[in-house]
Amino acid sequence: MSPEIVSQLSVGGSTLVLLGGLMMLWRRGVAAHIGAFTFQSVALAATMAMVGWFAGDWQLWAVAVLLLLVKGIGIPLLLKRMGRRFGSERELEPYVNTATSLLIGGLLVLLAYIVTAPLVSVSRLPTRTGMPLAIGLVFVSLFIIISRKKALTQVLGFLMLENGIALLAVLGTHGIPIIVEIGVFLDVALGFIVMQVFVYQIHETFESIDVEQLNRLRE
Amino acid sequence: MSPWLLGPVQAAVALMLAPGLVGAIRWMKARLQSRQGSPPWQPYLELRKLFAKEVVVSSNASWLFRAAPFIVFGSTVTVTLLVPLLTVPLPLGGAGDLLVVVYLLLLGTFFLALAGLDPGSPFGGMGASREMTVAALAEPTVALAIFALAWGAGSTNLGQIASRTLITPSEALAPGHVLAFAAIFLVTLAETGRLPVDNPSTHLELTMIHEAMVLEYSGRYLALIEWAAALKLLVFFSLLGNLFAPWGVASAITPGALLWAVLALALKLLALGGVIALVETHIAKLRLFRVPELLSASFILALLAVTASFLVR
Repeated sequence: MSPEIVSQLSVGGSTLVLLGGLMMLWRRGVAAHIGAFTFQSVALAATMAMVGWFAGDWQLWAVAVLLLLVKGIGIPLLLKRMGRRFGSERELEPYVNTATSLLIGGLLVLLAYIVTAPLVSVSRLPTRTGMPLAIGLVFVSLFIIISRKKALTQVLGFLMLENGIALLAVLGTHGIPIIVEIGVFLDVALGFIVMQVFVYQIHETFESIDVEQLNRLRE
Repeated sequence: MSPWLLGPVQAAVALMLAPGLVGAIRWMKARLQSRQGSPPWQPYLELRKLFAKEVVVSSNASWLFRAAPFIVFGSTVTVTLLVPLLTVPLPLGGAGDLLVVVYLLLLGTFFLALAGLDPGSPFGGMGASREMTVAALAEPTVALAIFALAWGAGSTNLGQIASRTLITPSEALAPGHVLAFAAIFLVTLAETGRLPVDNPSTHLELTMIHEAMVLEYSGRYLALIEWAAALKLLVFFSLLGNLFAPWGVASAITPGALLWAVLALALKLLALGGVIALVETHIAKLRLFRVPELLSASFILALLAVTASFLVR
Protein backbone atom coordinates (compact mmCIF):
# COMPACT_ATOMS: atom_id res chain seq x y z
CA MET A 1 0.00 0.00 0.00
CA SER A 2 1.27 3.44 -0.82
CA PRO A 3 1.60 5.94 2.04
CA GLU A 4 -1.05 8.23 0.50
CA ILE A 5 -3.67 5.51 0.59
CA VAL A 6 -2.70 4.61 4.17
CA SER A 7 -3.03 8.27 5.07
CA GLN A 8 -6.50 8.47 3.52
CA LEU A 9 -7.59 5.20 5.09
CA SER A 10 -6.40 6.24 8.53
CA VAL A 11 -8.35 9.50 8.29
CA GLY A 12 -11.37 7.52 7.08
CA GLY A 13 -11.09 4.99 9.90
CA SER A 14 -10.54 7.63 12.56
CA THR A 15 -13.49 9.58 11.22
CA LEU A 16 -15.73 6.53 11.64
CA VAL A 17 -14.42 6.04 15.18
CA LEU A 18 -15.11 9.69 15.95
CA LEU A 19 -18.58 9.43 14.41
CA GLY A 20 -19.34 6.75 16.99
CA GLY A 21 -18.70 9.36 19.67
CA LEU A 22 -20.85 11.97 17.92
CA MET A 23 -23.68 9.45 17.47
CA MET A 24 -23.61 9.09 21.23
CA LEU A 25 -24.24 12.84 21.56
CA TRP A 26 -26.99 12.76 18.98
CA ARG A 27 -29.11 9.76 19.98
CA ARG A 28 -30.98 9.38 23.25
CA GLY A 29 -31.99 5.76 23.78
CA VAL A 30 -29.76 3.41 25.77
CA ALA A 31 -29.90 0.83 22.95
CA ALA A 32 -28.75 3.47 20.43
CA HIS A 33 -25.86 4.42 22.73
CA ILE A 34 -24.72 0.83 23.01
CA GLY A 35 -25.04 0.51 19.23
CA ALA A 36 -22.86 3.59 18.76
CA PHE A 37 -20.21 2.14 21.05
CA THR A 38 -20.24 -1.23 19.25
CA PHE A 39 -19.92 0.54 15.89
CA GLN A 40 -17.02 2.57 17.22
CA SER A 41 -15.17 -0.46 18.57
CA VAL A 42 -15.55 -2.35 15.30
CA ALA A 43 -14.31 0.68 13.35
CA LEU A 44 -11.35 0.97 15.74
CA ALA A 45 -10.48 -2.72 15.30
CA ALA A 46 -10.63 -2.33 11.52
CA THR A 47 -8.36 0.71 11.63
CA MET A 48 -5.90 -1.18 13.82
CA ALA A 49 -5.90 -4.13 11.43
CA MET A 50 -5.28 -1.74 8.52
CA VAL A 51 -2.31 -0.15 10.28
CA GLY A 52 -1.07 -3.60 11.27
CA TRP A 53 -1.17 -4.69 7.65
CA PHE A 54 0.69 -1.60 6.53
CA ALA A 55 3.33 -1.85 9.25
CA GLY A 56 3.59 -5.65 8.91
CA ASP A 57 3.17 -6.12 12.63
CA TRP A 58 1.34 -9.28 13.78
CA GLN A 59 0.96 -7.87 17.30
CA LEU A 60 -1.39 -5.17 16.04
CA TRP A 61 -3.51 -7.86 14.39
CA ALA A 62 -3.68 -9.72 17.68
CA VAL A 63 -4.69 -6.54 19.50
CA ALA A 64 -7.33 -5.81 16.86
CA VAL A 65 -8.87 -9.28 17.27
CA LEU A 66 -8.77 -8.96 21.04
CA LEU A 67 -10.43 -5.56 20.80
CA LEU A 68 -13.15 -6.89 18.55
CA LEU A 69 -13.88 -9.71 21.00
CA VAL A 70 -13.79 -7.65 24.19
CA LYS A 71 -15.22 -4.29 23.13
CA GLY A 72 -17.09 -5.23 19.98
CA ILE A 73 -18.92 -8.23 21.45
CA GLY A 74 -18.30 -8.76 25.17
CA ILE A 75 -18.85 -5.35 26.73
CA PRO A 76 -21.91 -4.48 24.55
CA LEU A 77 -23.53 -7.75 25.68
CA LEU A 78 -22.88 -6.92 29.32
CA LEU A 79 -24.14 -3.38 28.79
CA LYS A 80 -27.33 -4.67 27.20
CA ARG A 81 -27.90 -6.86 30.22
CA MET A 82 -27.34 -3.88 32.48
CA GLY A 83 -29.75 -1.85 30.35
CA ARG A 84 -32.41 -4.55 30.71
CA ARG A 85 -31.99 -4.75 34.45
CA PHE A 86 -32.30 -1.03 35.05
CA GLY A 87 -34.97 -0.55 32.44
CA SER A 88 -33.96 1.33 29.31
CA GLU A 89 -34.14 4.74 30.90
CA ARG A 90 -33.70 7.45 28.31
CA GLU A 91 -31.30 10.31 28.63
CA LEU A 92 -34.18 12.76 28.62
CA GLU A 93 -32.57 15.76 30.19
CA PRO A 94 -28.84 15.93 29.73
CA TYR A 95 -27.21 19.03 31.21
CA VAL A 96 -26.66 20.32 27.67
CA ASN A 97 -29.33 19.81 24.99
CA THR A 98 -28.66 17.69 21.93
CA ALA A 99 -28.21 20.41 19.31
CA THR A 100 -25.82 22.38 21.52
CA SER A 101 -23.95 19.19 22.45
CA LEU A 102 -23.39 18.42 18.77
CA LEU A 103 -22.12 21.93 18.09
CA ILE A 104 -19.82 21.74 21.10
CA GLY A 105 -18.63 18.35 19.83
CA GLY A 106 -17.77 19.91 16.47
CA LEU A 107 -15.92 22.76 18.14
CA LEU A 108 -13.99 20.30 20.30
CA VAL A 109 -12.85 18.48 17.16
CA LEU A 110 -11.69 21.78 15.67
CA LEU A 111 -9.85 22.52 18.92
CA ALA A 112 -8.21 19.11 18.64
CA TYR A 113 -6.97 20.02 15.17
CA ILE A 114 -5.41 23.18 16.54
CA VAL A 115 -3.72 21.64 19.57
CA THR A 116 -2.36 18.63 17.68
CA ALA A 117 -0.87 20.66 14.83
CA PRO A 118 2.65 20.62 16.38
CA LEU A 119 2.32 16.90 17.18
CA VAL A 120 1.35 16.07 13.62
CA SER A 121 4.16 18.14 12.14
CA VAL A 122 6.73 16.27 14.25
CA SER A 123 5.54 12.80 13.20
CA ARG A 124 6.79 11.21 9.99
CA LEU A 125 4.34 8.32 9.89
CA PRO A 126 1.73 8.29 7.10
CA THR A 127 -0.94 7.52 9.71
CA ARG A 128 -0.38 10.87 11.46
CA THR A 129 -3.29 12.49 9.61
CA GLY A 130 -5.78 10.67 11.84
CA MET A 131 -4.25 11.86 15.11
CA PRO A 132 -6.31 15.07 15.49
CA LEU A 133 -9.45 12.99 15.18
CA ALA A 134 -8.28 10.63 17.93
CA ILE A 135 -7.62 13.58 20.26
CA GLY A 136 -10.99 14.96 19.17
CA LEU A 137 -12.62 11.72 20.30
CA VAL A 138 -10.85 12.00 23.67
CA PHE A 139 -12.29 15.51 24.09
CA VAL A 140 -15.76 14.47 22.95
CA SER A 141 -15.85 11.51 25.35
CA LEU A 142 -14.78 13.71 28.25
CA PHE A 143 -17.62 16.02 27.27
CA ILE A 144 -20.03 13.06 27.25
CA ILE A 145 -18.92 12.11 30.75
CA ILE A 146 -19.49 15.57 32.19
CA SER A 147 -22.68 16.49 30.31
CA ARG A 148 -24.84 13.37 30.77
CA LYS A 149 -26.72 12.39 33.89
CA LYS A 150 -27.24 8.63 33.59
CA ALA A 151 -24.49 6.49 35.07
CA LEU A 152 -24.72 4.06 32.14
CA THR A 153 -24.06 6.85 29.64
CA GLN A 154 -21.10 8.03 31.67
CA VAL A 155 -19.66 4.50 31.69
CA LEU A 156 -19.98 4.46 27.91
CA GLY A 157 -18.24 7.83 27.75
CA PHE A 158 -15.37 6.37 29.76
CA LEU A 159 -15.11 3.37 27.43
CA MET A 160 -15.07 5.70 24.42
CA LEU A 161 -12.31 7.73 26.04
CA GLU A 162 -10.26 4.56 26.22
CA ASN A 163 -11.00 3.86 22.55
CA GLY A 164 -9.73 7.33 21.70
CA ILE A 165 -6.48 6.74 23.55
CA ALA A 166 -6.00 3.35 21.85
CA LEU A 167 -6.58 4.97 18.46
CA LEU A 168 -4.05 7.68 19.24
CA ALA A 169 -1.48 5.07 20.28
CA VAL A 170 -1.94 3.11 17.07
CA LEU A 171 -1.83 6.11 14.76
CA GLY A 172 0.96 7.94 16.55
CA THR A 173 3.36 5.07 17.25
CA HIS A 174 2.11 2.13 15.16
CA GLY A 175 1.17 0.33 18.30
CA ILE A 176 2.60 -0.23 21.71
CA PRO A 177 3.95 -3.62 22.81
CA ILE A 178 1.21 -6.21 23.17
CA ILE A 179 1.96 -6.75 26.86
CA VAL A 180 1.17 -3.09 27.58
CA GLU A 181 -1.95 -3.37 25.45
CA ILE A 182 -3.15 -6.42 27.40
CA GLY A 183 -2.48 -4.55 30.61
CA VAL A 184 -4.65 -1.69 29.41
CA PHE A 185 -7.41 -4.13 28.49
CA LEU A 186 -7.35 -5.67 31.95
CA ASP A 187 -7.44 -2.18 33.39
CA VAL A 188 -10.51 -1.33 31.37
CA ALA A 189 -12.22 -4.61 32.19
CA LEU A 190 -11.55 -4.03 35.88
CA GLY A 191 -12.72 -0.42 35.68
CA PHE A 192 -15.83 -1.56 33.88
CA ILE A 193 -16.62 -4.16 36.56
CA VAL A 194 -16.11 -1.62 39.34
CA MET A 195 -18.39 0.85 37.55
CA GLN A 196 -20.99 -1.84 37.01
CA VAL A 197 -21.03 -2.49 40.73
CA PHE A 198 -21.35 1.23 41.35
CA VAL A 199 -24.22 1.57 38.92
CA TYR A 200 -25.90 -1.37 40.59
CA GLN A 201 -25.49 0.21 44.03
CA ILE A 202 -26.75 3.58 42.80
CA HIS A 203 -29.79 1.86 41.37
CA GLU A 204 -30.38 -0.07 44.60
CA THR A 205 -30.26 3.08 46.70
CA PHE A 206 -32.19 5.51 44.53
CA GLU A 207 -34.32 3.31 42.23
CA SER A 208 -32.73 5.18 39.34
CA ILE A 209 -29.29 5.52 37.76
CA ASP A 210 -29.55 9.27 37.46
CA VAL A 211 -26.43 10.61 39.16
CA GLU A 212 -28.23 13.86 39.97
CA GLN A 213 -29.81 11.88 42.80
CA LEU A 214 -26.41 11.60 44.47
CA ASN A 215 -26.93 15.19 45.63
CA ARG A 216 -29.33 13.76 48.17
CA LEU A 217 -26.43 12.02 49.91
CA ARG A 218 -26.02 14.60 52.62
CA GLU A 219 -25.71 14.04 56.36
CA MET B 1 -23.72 21.73 -30.22
CA SER B 2 -23.16 25.20 -28.87
CA PRO B 3 -23.38 25.75 -25.12
CA TRP B 4 -26.34 28.06 -25.62
CA LEU B 5 -28.30 25.16 -27.04
CA LEU B 6 -26.96 22.53 -24.66
CA GLY B 7 -27.98 24.47 -21.53
CA PRO B 8 -31.69 24.64 -22.45
CA VAL B 9 -31.57 20.98 -23.52
CA GLN B 10 -30.27 20.07 -20.08
CA ALA B 11 -32.99 22.12 -18.37
CA ALA B 12 -35.64 20.52 -20.60
CA VAL B 13 -34.44 17.01 -19.74
CA ALA B 14 -34.58 17.89 -16.04
CA LEU B 15 -38.08 19.34 -16.40
CA MET B 16 -39.31 16.21 -18.17
CA LEU B 17 -37.72 13.78 -15.70
CA ALA B 18 -38.73 15.56 -12.49
CA PRO B 19 -42.43 14.55 -12.20
CA GLY B 20 -41.47 11.00 -13.17
CA LEU B 21 -38.97 10.88 -10.31
CA VAL B 22 -41.64 11.88 -7.80
CA GLY B 23 -44.03 9.36 -9.29
CA ALA B 24 -41.40 6.61 -9.19
CA ILE B 25 -40.67 7.28 -5.51
CA ARG B 26 -44.39 7.18 -4.69
CA TRP B 27 -44.80 3.96 -6.64
CA MET B 28 -41.81 2.24 -5.01
CA LYS B 29 -42.99 3.35 -1.60
CA ALA B 30 -46.45 1.97 -2.27
CA ARG B 31 -45.04 -1.38 -3.43
CA LEU B 32 -42.79 -1.57 -0.34
CA GLN B 33 -45.83 -1.03 1.83
CA SER B 34 -47.79 -3.75 -0.07
CA ARG B 35 -50.13 -1.22 -1.62
CA GLN B 36 -51.14 -1.11 -5.25
CA GLY B 37 -50.08 2.52 -5.62
CA SER B 38 -50.73 4.88 -8.51
CA PRO B 39 -48.59 4.34 -11.63
CA PRO B 40 -45.24 6.19 -11.82
CA TRP B 41 -46.53 8.56 -14.51
CA GLN B 42 -49.36 9.80 -12.29
CA PRO B 43 -47.68 13.21 -11.54
CA TYR B 44 -47.67 14.04 -15.27
CA LEU B 45 -51.43 13.50 -15.37
CA GLU B 46 -51.85 15.59 -12.22
CA LEU B 47 -49.85 18.44 -13.75
CA ARG B 48 -51.95 18.32 -16.93
CA LYS B 49 -55.13 18.36 -14.87
CA LEU B 50 -53.94 21.30 -12.73
CA PHE B 51 -52.87 23.36 -15.75
CA ALA B 52 -56.38 23.00 -17.19
CA LYS B 53 -58.13 24.01 -13.99
CA GLU B 54 -59.48 27.37 -12.99
CA VAL B 55 -57.42 29.47 -10.54
CA VAL B 56 -59.09 30.60 -7.32
CA VAL B 57 -57.31 33.39 -5.44
CA SER B 58 -58.30 34.80 -2.08
CA SER B 59 -59.53 38.39 -2.27
CA ASN B 60 -57.03 39.30 0.47
CA ALA B 61 -54.05 38.16 -1.58
CA SER B 62 -51.70 40.74 -3.10
CA TRP B 63 -49.66 40.64 -6.32
CA LEU B 64 -46.99 38.70 -4.42
CA PHE B 65 -49.25 35.68 -4.23
CA ARG B 66 -49.60 35.64 -8.02
CA ALA B 67 -45.92 36.33 -8.70
CA ALA B 68 -44.46 33.79 -6.29
CA PRO B 69 -45.16 30.62 -8.34
CA PHE B 70 -43.34 32.08 -11.32
CA ILE B 71 -40.38 33.16 -9.20
CA VAL B 72 -40.16 29.75 -7.53
CA PHE B 73 -40.40 27.93 -10.83
CA GLY B 74 -38.03 30.31 -12.61
CA SER B 75 -35.32 30.17 -9.96
CA THR B 76 -35.43 26.37 -9.83
CA VAL B 77 -35.20 26.06 -13.61
CA THR B 78 -32.22 28.44 -13.58
CA VAL B 79 -30.54 26.15 -11.08
CA THR B 80 -30.81 23.22 -13.50
CA LEU B 81 -28.62 25.20 -15.92
CA LEU B 82 -25.86 25.46 -13.32
CA VAL B 83 -25.58 21.95 -11.88
CA PRO B 84 -23.77 19.09 -13.65
CA LEU B 85 -26.71 17.06 -14.94
CA LEU B 86 -25.50 15.75 -18.30
CA THR B 87 -22.15 17.25 -19.28
CA VAL B 88 -18.94 18.59 -17.78
CA PRO B 89 -17.65 21.25 -18.13
CA LEU B 90 -21.03 22.88 -17.71
CA PRO B 91 -22.43 24.52 -20.84
CA LEU B 92 -23.26 27.69 -18.93
CA GLY B 93 -20.79 27.13 -16.07
CA GLY B 94 -19.38 30.62 -16.42
CA ALA B 95 -22.70 32.05 -15.27
CA GLY B 96 -22.57 30.84 -11.69
CA ASP B 97 -20.98 28.52 -9.17
CA LEU B 98 -22.18 26.68 -6.09
CA LEU B 99 -22.94 29.87 -4.17
CA VAL B 100 -25.32 30.98 -6.90
CA VAL B 101 -26.99 27.55 -6.83
CA VAL B 102 -27.43 27.55 -3.06
CA TYR B 103 -28.87 31.05 -3.00
CA LEU B 104 -31.12 30.60 -6.02
CA LEU B 105 -32.67 27.63 -4.21
CA LEU B 106 -33.02 29.77 -1.10
CA LEU B 107 -34.65 32.53 -3.16
CA GLY B 108 -37.38 30.11 -4.21
CA THR B 109 -37.90 28.99 -0.62
CA PHE B 110 -38.06 32.61 0.52
CA PHE B 111 -40.75 33.60 -1.97
CA LEU B 112 -42.75 30.48 -1.24
CA ALA B 113 -42.70 31.38 2.46
CA LEU B 114 -43.79 34.96 1.64
CA ALA B 115 -46.61 33.61 -0.50
CA GLY B 116 -47.65 31.37 2.38
CA LEU B 117 -47.92 34.42 4.65
CA ASP B 118 -49.62 36.64 2.07
CA PRO B 119 -53.28 35.48 2.12
CA GLY B 120 -53.25 35.58 5.91
CA SER B 121 -54.49 32.05 6.49
CA PRO B 122 -53.24 30.49 9.74
CA PHE B 123 -51.80 27.39 8.08
CA GLY B 124 -49.81 29.43 5.59
CA GLY B 125 -48.12 31.37 8.34
CA MET B 126 -47.40 28.22 10.32
CA GLY B 127 -45.93 26.47 7.30
CA ALA B 128 -43.84 29.51 6.38
CA SER B 129 -42.34 29.84 9.83
CA ARG B 130 -41.47 26.13 9.91
CA GLU B 131 -40.01 26.21 6.43
CA MET B 132 -37.80 29.15 7.37
CA THR B 133 -36.60 27.34 10.51
CA VAL B 134 -35.60 24.31 8.46
CA ALA B 135 -34.08 26.36 5.62
CA ALA B 136 -32.00 28.51 7.97
CA LEU B 137 -30.45 25.37 9.44
CA ALA B 138 -30.09 23.43 6.19
CA GLU B 139 -28.61 26.10 3.93
CA PRO B 140 -25.22 26.50 5.67
CA THR B 141 -24.81 22.73 5.70
CA VAL B 142 -25.22 22.47 1.93
CA ALA B 143 -22.73 25.27 1.35
CA LEU B 144 -20.23 23.84 3.82
CA ALA B 145 -20.48 20.29 2.45
CA ILE B 146 -19.95 21.44 -1.13
CA PHE B 147 -17.05 23.61 0.06
CA ALA B 148 -15.41 20.41 1.30
CA LEU B 149 -15.49 19.17 -2.29
CA ALA B 150 -14.54 22.55 -3.71
CA TRP B 151 -11.44 22.55 -1.55
CA GLY B 152 -10.18 19.38 -3.21
CA ALA B 153 -11.05 20.54 -6.70
CA GLY B 154 -9.65 24.04 -6.19
CA SER B 155 -12.79 25.63 -7.63
CA THR B 156 -16.31 26.43 -6.53
CA ASN B 157 -17.64 25.64 -10.00
CA LEU B 158 -19.80 22.52 -9.72
CA GLY B 159 -18.76 21.29 -13.18
CA GLN B 160 -15.09 21.46 -12.26
CA ILE B 161 -15.70 19.59 -9.00
CA ALA B 162 -17.37 16.78 -10.95
CA SER B 163 -14.65 16.63 -13.61
CA ARG B 164 -11.97 16.54 -10.93
CA THR B 165 -13.54 13.40 -9.47
CA LEU B 166 -13.76 11.95 -12.99
CA ILE B 167 -10.02 12.47 -13.47
CA THR B 168 -8.95 11.06 -10.08
CA PRO B 169 -11.51 8.37 -9.14
CA SER B 170 -9.81 7.59 -5.79
CA GLU B 171 -11.02 11.02 -4.60
CA ALA B 172 -14.56 9.62 -4.47
CA LEU B 173 -13.69 7.51 -1.43
CA ALA B 174 -11.74 10.22 0.41
CA PRO B 175 -13.15 10.78 3.91
CA GLY B 176 -14.08 14.36 3.08
CA HIS B 177 -16.24 13.16 0.19
CA VAL B 178 -17.96 10.42 2.17
CA LEU B 179 -18.83 12.75 5.04
CA ALA B 180 -20.02 15.48 2.69
CA PHE B 181 -22.24 12.93 0.94
CA ALA B 182 -23.83 11.92 4.24
CA ALA B 183 -24.35 15.58 5.18
CA ILE B 184 -25.99 16.50 1.87
CA PHE B 185 -28.16 13.39 2.00
CA LEU B 186 -29.60 14.45 5.37
CA VAL B 187 -30.12 17.99 4.10
CA THR B 188 -31.84 16.68 0.97
CA LEU B 189 -34.42 15.03 3.18
CA ALA B 190 -35.04 18.34 4.96
CA GLU B 191 -34.92 20.67 1.97
CA THR B 192 -37.21 18.67 -0.26
CA GLY B 193 -39.76 17.91 2.45
CA ARG B 194 -39.12 14.17 2.74
CA LEU B 195 -39.97 12.03 5.68
CA PRO B 196 -38.19 12.54 8.95
CA VAL B 197 -38.72 16.29 8.53
CA ASP B 198 -41.93 16.68 6.54
CA ASN B 199 -44.39 14.11 5.28
CA PRO B 200 -44.96 14.55 1.53
CA SER B 201 -48.10 12.39 1.45
CA THR B 202 -50.15 13.90 4.25
CA HIS B 203 -52.60 16.72 4.57
CA LEU B 204 -52.68 16.55 8.33
CA GLU B 205 -52.52 20.22 9.27
CA LEU B 206 -50.44 19.98 12.41
CA THR B 207 -47.49 18.16 10.88
CA MET B 208 -47.08 19.55 7.42
CA ILE B 209 -44.58 22.16 6.23
CA HIS B 210 -44.56 22.36 2.46
CA GLU B 211 -48.24 21.48 2.09
CA ALA B 212 -49.22 24.15 4.62
CA MET B 213 -47.54 26.88 2.61
CA VAL B 214 -49.17 25.95 -0.68
CA LEU B 215 -52.61 25.26 0.79
CA GLU B 216 -54.12 28.38 -0.78
CA TYR B 217 -52.86 27.67 -4.28
CA SER B 218 -54.91 26.09 -7.03
CA GLY B 219 -54.90 25.56 -10.78
CA ARG B 220 -51.82 26.43 -12.78
CA TYR B 221 -50.15 28.18 -9.83
CA LEU B 222 -50.25 24.95 -7.85
CA ALA B 223 -49.00 23.05 -10.91
CA LEU B 224 -45.98 25.37 -11.19
CA ILE B 225 -45.18 25.03 -7.50
CA GLU B 226 -45.49 21.25 -7.51
CA TRP B 227 -43.36 21.03 -10.63
CA ALA B 228 -40.74 23.28 -9.04
CA ALA B 229 -40.75 21.10 -5.90
CA ALA B 230 -40.19 17.98 -8.02
CA LEU B 231 -37.41 19.80 -9.85
CA LYS B 232 -35.77 20.74 -6.58
CA LEU B 233 -35.77 17.09 -5.55
CA LEU B 234 -34.16 16.23 -8.88
CA VAL B 235 -31.51 18.95 -8.43
CA PHE B 236 -30.53 17.62 -5.00
CA PHE B 237 -30.47 14.03 -6.25
CA SER B 238 -28.30 14.96 -9.20
CA LEU B 239 -25.93 16.84 -6.87
CA LEU B 240 -25.67 13.67 -4.79
CA GLY B 241 -25.30 11.48 -7.86
CA ASN B 242 -23.07 13.57 -10.08
CA LEU B 243 -20.82 15.39 -7.63
CA PHE B 244 -19.90 12.28 -5.67
CA ALA B 245 -20.08 9.61 -8.39
CA PRO B 246 -19.84 11.50 -11.69
CA TRP B 247 -19.46 8.41 -13.87
CA GLY B 248 -21.70 8.50 -16.91
CA VAL B 249 -21.60 12.28 -17.22
CA ALA B 250 -20.60 13.18 -20.77
CA SER B 251 -17.24 14.94 -21.03
CA ALA B 252 -17.34 15.06 -24.85
CA ILE B 253 -20.41 16.37 -26.63
CA THR B 254 -21.50 13.62 -29.02
CA PRO B 255 -25.04 12.27 -29.44
CA GLY B 256 -23.99 8.85 -28.07
CA ALA B 257 -22.34 10.31 -24.97
CA LEU B 258 -25.35 12.56 -24.31
CA LEU B 259 -27.77 9.66 -24.62
CA TRP B 260 -25.64 7.62 -22.24
CA ALA B 261 -25.52 10.61 -19.84
CA VAL B 262 -29.33 10.86 -19.79
CA LEU B 263 -29.57 7.11 -19.14
CA ALA B 264 -26.96 7.26 -16.34
CA LEU B 265 -28.74 10.22 -14.77
CA ALA B 266 -32.07 8.38 -14.85
CA LEU B 267 -30.48 5.30 -13.27
CA LYS B 268 -28.85 7.35 -10.48
CA LEU B 269 -32.13 9.15 -9.80
CA LEU B 270 -33.97 5.84 -9.61
CA ALA B 271 -31.36 4.37 -7.26
CA LEU B 272 -31.49 7.38 -4.93
CA GLY B 273 -35.28 7.39 -5.17
CA GLY B 274 -35.24 3.75 -4.08
CA VAL B 275 -33.11 4.65 -1.06
CA ILE B 276 -35.56 7.45 -0.16
CA ALA B 277 -38.54 5.10 -0.54
CA LEU B 278 -36.83 2.56 1.70
CA VAL B 279 -35.97 5.20 4.31
CA GLU B 280 -39.50 6.60 4.26
CA THR B 281 -40.99 3.15 4.72
CA HIS B 282 -38.65 2.46 7.59
CA ILE B 283 -38.88 5.55 9.79
CA ALA B 284 -41.53 7.81 11.24
CA LYS B 285 -41.64 11.58 11.16
CA LEU B 286 -39.51 13.36 13.75
CA ARG B 287 -41.13 15.70 16.19
CA LEU B 288 -40.69 19.25 14.91
CA PHE B 289 -38.55 20.20 17.89
CA ARG B 290 -36.13 17.38 17.13
CA VAL B 291 -35.58 18.47 13.53
CA PRO B 292 -32.87 20.98 14.55
CA GLU B 293 -31.01 18.06 16.16
CA LEU B 294 -31.02 16.14 12.89
CA LEU B 295 -29.85 19.20 11.01
CA SER B 296 -27.12 20.03 13.49
CA ALA B 297 -25.90 16.44 13.15
CA SER B 298 -25.66 16.97 9.41
CA PHE B 299 -23.94 20.31 9.99
CA ILE B 300 -21.31 18.57 12.11
CA LEU B 301 -20.81 15.99 9.36
CA ALA B 302 -20.23 18.81 6.89
CA LEU B 303 -17.83 20.53 9.29
CA LEU B 304 -15.84 17.31 9.69
CA ALA B 305 -15.86 16.91 5.91
CA VAL B 306 -14.28 20.33 5.47
CA THR B 307 -11.63 19.71 8.13
CA ALA B 308 -10.86 16.24 6.73
CA SER B 309 -10.40 17.45 3.17
CA PHE B 310 -8.41 20.40 4.46
CA LEU B 311 -6.01 18.06 6.25
CA VAL B 312 -5.53 15.27 3.72
CA ARG B 313 -4.71 17.70 1.00
